[in-house]
Amino acid sequence: MVGDDFGFYIDPQRCIGCRACVGACAECGTHKGRPMIHLDEIDRLVSTQTTPTVCMHCEDPICAQVCPSDAIKRSEDGVVHSSQKPRCIGCQNCELSCPFGVPIVFSGLEQMMKCDLCYDRTSEGHKPMCATVCPSQALLFVPKHQISAMRQNQPLNEFTIGTLKVRTRTALMVPDPGLPLHLDAALLMVGGGF
Amino acid sequence: MRLLDQLDLEPRPLIRAALSTAALGALVALGSRGGRWLDPALLGYLLATLFACFGVSYRYWSWLERPATDMYFQDTLRRFLSPRVLLTLPKLMLLALDQIFLQRFIEKRSVKRWGAHALIAWGCLLGFSVTIPLVFGWVRFTSAGLDPNRYEAWLFGFPAGSFPLGSPVAFITFHILDLAAFMVIAGCTLAFIRRLHDEGDAATQRFDLDLLPLLVLIAVSVTGLLLTVSEKWLGGRNFTTIAFMHELTVIVMLLSLPFGKLFHIVQRPAQLGVTLYKADGEAEGRLPCKGCGALFIRANQRRDLEVLFKRLDLDGARHSPSVHHLDLCPKCKRRLMALAQNQRLGGSFDPFHDVPIYAEPVADPTTFRS
Ligand code: SF4
Ligand code: SF4
Repeated sequence: MVGDDFGFYIDPQRCIGCRACVGACAECGTHKGRPMIHLDEIDRLVSTQTTPTVCMHCEDPICAQVCPSDAIKRSEDGVVHSSQKPRCIGCQNCELSCPFGVPIVFSGLEQMMKCDLCYDRTSEGHKPMCATVCPSQALLFVPKHQISAMRQNQPLNEFTIGTLKVRTRTALMVPDPGLPLHLDAALLMVGGGF
Repeated sequence: MRLLDQLDLEPRPLIRAALSTAALGALVALGSRGGRWLDPALLGYLLATLFACFGVSYRYWSWLERPATDMYFQDTLRRFLSPRVLLTLPKLMLLALDQIFLQRFIEKRSVKRWGAHALIAWGCLLGFSVTIPLVFGWVRFTSAGLDPNRYEAWLFGFPAGSFPLGSPVAFITFHILDLAAFMVIAGCTLAFIRRLHDEGDAATQRFDLDLLPLLVLIAVSVTGLLLTVSEKWLGGRNFTTIAFMHELTVIVMLLSLPFGKLFHIVQRPAQLGVTLYKADGEAEGRLPCKGCGALFIRANQRRDLEVLFKRLDLDGARHSPSVHHLDLCPKCKRRLMALAQNQRLGGSFDPFHDVPIYAEPVADPTTFRS
């Protein structure tokens, strides 16, 4: 069980692209040797900005809803796990449907793996690998009551895509958390202001 | 219906499961020539098998009704109902050899896991292929006439040859289950050792889902082997007690089939359908991401996922009439999150964002911006 009092906070604007999280993620016992965190450049031609993506651990995970094998489970502590190995048939529904682009399907292995909050660590009271090594604290795993004092920006757990609402366990840091974050594809089209 | 509600059972899968069990019952009656060739000593096993059939088929039919499963089931159904199936058949056989028989995808996941799994899977299949025909009365062995040294085999109540008691055929026939038991015990032990040393599994495994099935399989195999030990070396001592223990463990295993991990045995063939579906999609081509233009989603999956999103009430995930969230590749979805944060922060990723940039007199070959 991961303590209910701990939260995972991501803050892409703090990311310096050092890839320490990627290296550390690969060391985790639940997905040995394969990093589950994504580190993406936003638009390399105009900016050096990078962004880390971990699973948002949705309250009603779309990945699980679209899985034909019922292979994706959310435990009571709100952690959405990698596919159950005996069940996953590698169809990629989850990979293509996750609102945040998180799951990775390994073809040939016919298996989906994803960020599972380093369950072998967090279920025993340790931080996830990435949050342990991130030097700029773009990835932060701390008690929930501490976060408001640590940052000017505050955690936001609600996102909208069109009219669809997605609530998540993992939070994104924004100045105005009262308003759900609208993910509008138009931002991708105009170069996004970078 | 109130009872169904209380038990949380769905009527349609329930009816289908009842029909499936009735069909199996009919096959048993037919194969055992109206029950005449059923072995009375194996009746307990027969009842447990019929219950397992009911439970497994109920779960299977309910599983097929999930919208996401239905998406692939319909595709497979269409494939099997079309004449094209004959063209697909050789490919299907090859896939079944690779994915179901050799299970090479597990070998790619981990060789240790594959070794343990192969021993358990083939041990169980070997065991079932011997015991099920015996329990259903499809195969029986009797002594041949009055000759106590010859055994006669009966298939569906018809004589199918006889063999002497000490012959290699007799040895294999009577000890094949011992071989199956050794395979299962070895596989389960390896699986236990692997689970003990694997930090990842140690954190995510559950006793009831992951370890209990291994213990039950070991119990079935050990009690089965003890029957041989008692018969061969102890002069039949405690045979009845051991036989009772064996029957008990097998019945526990059969009754748990629909509820536990072993249900994946009937789920797994879906992988064949998905592989063929993916091949169709590759042939049809991939569609470009509406964020970056990279080809990513197979056309058939894009269509079917849109239908699935509608069925799951997720269809609001549209950015505009022409851009569905499904039209963005995973990478663009990830970038979008950062871009949306950036917008909220008033462009603070770039402290100079409001300093105007003027086009260079000479076009810069490294940027797309004019
Ligand atoms: S972020 Fe994606 S992978 Fe994670 S729980 Fe939500 S839908 Fe599933
Ligand atoms: S790839 Fe595996 S986990 Fe993902 S939807 Fe398909 S079966 Fe489910």
